[in-house]
Amino acid sequence: MRQDRIGFLFITPAVFAVVVFYLVPVLMTAVIAFTDMSTATGIRGGDYVLTESSLRKLDDASLPADTVAQLAEGGFVVDADGLAGIEAQFGAALTTRIATALLDEKFDNRREIERALNDLRAPELRITRDRKAAAALFQRSVLNTRHDTPESLRAALSVADIPLADHDQIVQAAYTGWSWTTRNFELLVSLPSTLRYALNTLMYVSVTLVVFNIGLGLFLAISTFYLPERTSATFRAIWFMPRILPPVLYVLMWKWMMLDSGFIASVLAPLGVARINWMMETEVHAWVAVILINGVVGASFGMIIFASAIKAIPQTMLMAAEVDGASRWQQVRFIILPQMRWPILFVTAYQTLSLLASFEYILLSTGGGPGSATEVWAMAAFRTALNNYGGNLQYGMGATFALVLVLIGTALSLIYLRFFNFQALLSKPRIER
Amino acid sequence: MKLVLERFTKRFGATTVIDGLDLTVADGEMIALLGPSGCGKSTTLFAIAGLHRVDGGRILFGARDVADVSAQARNVGIVFQNYALYPHMSVAQNIGFPLRVRGESTTQIDRKVRSIAGLVRIDELLDRRPAQLSGGQQQRVALARALVREPDVLLLDEPLANLDAKLRMEMRSEIRRVQLETGITAILVTHDQVEAMSMCDRIALMKTGQIVQISSPAEMYDNPADRYVASFLGNPSIAFLAADAGEELRLAGGQSLGPAGRLAGQGPLELGVRPEHYGPGKGPQLQGKVVMMETHGREDLFEVDLDGGGRLRAILPAGSGVRTGASVDWGVAVERLFAFSPKGARL
Repeated sequence: MRQDRIGFLFITPAVFAVVVFYLVPVLMTAVIAFTDMSTATGIRGGDYVLTESSLRKLDDASLPADTVAQLAEGGFVVDADGLAGIEAQFGAALTTRIATALLDEKFDNRREIERALNDLRAPELRITRDRKAAAALFQRSVLNTRHDTPESLRAALSVADIPLADHDQIVQAAYTGWSWTTRNFELLVSLPSTLRYALNTLMYVSVTLVVFNIGLGLFLAISTFYLPERTSATFRAIWFMPRILPPVLYVLMWKWMMLDSGFIASVLAPLGVARINWMMETEVHAWVAVILINGVVGASFGMIIFASAIKAIPQTMLMAAEVDGASRWQQVRFIILPQMRWPILFVTAYQTLSLLASFEYILLSTGGGPGSATEVWAMAAFRTALNNYGGNLQYGMGATFALVLVLIGTALSLIYLRFFNFQALLSKPRIER
Repeated sequence: MKLVLERFTKRFGATTVIDGLDLTVADGEMIALLGPSGCGKSTTLFAIAGLHRVDGGRILFGARDVADVSAQARNVGIVFQNYALYPHMSVAQNIGFPLRVRGESTTQIDRKVRSIAGLVRIDELLDRRPAQLSGGQQQRVALARALVREPDVLLLDEPLANLDAKLRMEMRSEIRRVQLETGITAILVTHDQVEAMSMCDRIALMKTGQIVQISSPAEMYDNPADRYVASFLGNPSIAFLAADAGEELRLAGGQSLGPAGRLAGQGPLELGVRPEHYGPGKGPQLQGKVVMMETHGREDLFEVDLDGGGRLRAILPAGSGVRTGASVDWGVAVERLFAFSPKGARL
């Protein structure tokens, strides 16, 4: 086998994984984003049923009022089915009597058929209640009957004498399955909550990234670099612990600290500070909590990357700087930081993408609240599509949220790749060390 | 500036690496700290630079004791084996760095950088990055950076070790030229005796944290203090023969070098014979057989196994016609012999 073919063979599992676990889900998301799939529609096709609620919708959608009333009321037809019902309930005598007098008669409403039945002067129908029951047996409504095909529904509409011009609209309203639509995107643009989620996400990603993942990460890496090796290793290990803790447990500890019965409140109570929920009291509290919870975990990633990058700087370079008269701060400013460019870019790229997609700590801590103050984009997608209180999961809308996130993430990746300048990264360093 | 180390002591943990070392370097002198790796020469250099804390003794720059002064405040220049240039700065920025951290004005930095770049002959490279320079050019930049702030002492830590043979020769004389032109006091750390001998006014030969001998290169070569010094200098290196001095100077292998002279009655000892002092007609003849011959172009190097035991090296002008396997009766210049006691002391 030729060598390049072996190469392909080696990357096959990776290609398979990328296709199955990345490309297919993304494509599915893109497809579903253009549908109105929800719990109500199901994810397969649907049936055709006219219900009270679809009638209301039709009324709103300016179907002629007559037609709506006709659909709601339905007509009355004296037919074999109805007669069979009479026979079962009132006996053969009445059946024969009705059949002789009224067979195949049609009535527009309940009052007319009741009057016709009364005119028969039948002893079985002397009581009004019985007359109403008998009339109901002849009601032929299109409501609440399930049809597998639109043709079947159209046939029923014809039977019920619904004007042909209105059929299309009615069939459409009766459809219970999902259909293709671009409404999700229109909705996304028009809803004020969209802007809120976008701004929340921007705030969440940028502050966590700049202050903690990069800022604190760099600070920890540089400060531990000047400590004795043992001390710094211990210190870094401690900072790393939240990352290996299960998120539920980690957030639980934050809650234990911040809730109104928690540590902070209990410590401050004797000082006369009112017991408040430090995590949820105001939007500011919630934001501080969300960013701290994410930042403390996030900083350790940058810390590890930066610390190893600093260690890769030849010792003699720092010695030279020291002899050149550079103070510690000047060494950091002029020697260490400029050489941190690639690691900083890498951590920025990597953490932007993971922050964009992550919301588990928010979900577990503030749950997006108070209100939707800390609800970020990815969490909105999750809630819309997979977990909301209404119970009607809007897969289509959720997929639209997710698709936008995928597009932003891909665009950012491409921008970062340009920044990274892969050519430069792959070329051999020419400086001798 | 005159530099004095007084009872300088350095420990790493419980290990004392250097114990009470004394060294005086005169103003404008260039001295080599020569020795095998691990002998403490770099440690001494780093202590002078202020990169290592001093555990005892004094380090005097002129009259000022700098033992407790930080590296930043010492005003020394240092060149490392790997040059330690800052890869993200241009050559000009590299050279100007010591001035920049001192807060000097841009125009002043620019003027000084240009003048020092002229001295080390890299004027046309000022805009390049270190990665775009050859090893020799990087070396010059490092030298310029060390010199730009007119340090009290120039410290060179194996500066030529990363260069190829040809560049090493060139840079050897270049560094010496710059040192002489600036008149700066300089200390060169090296394990290469050729470097030490060719570049420096004096050599301090070190062994396990001690200076064994300190003298001019010629003096050290011609008059080594002990067997260690004799063996360290010279290439091809000196050959040693076990011998016994009674009336006669007799080799362990049985052959005689004639009357023992001043060594008479010393008993067992070791003789050191440099290759240039052994050859046809140089003195009392010894029987032997050529076991190895190398041609070095202008001269040939021989190794001769003496009858009865012992091996000598000889270096002769090319074209002697002697081949491997030939029997020879070359002589030893007895008056140039070094004699050492069994413990290695010079007799």
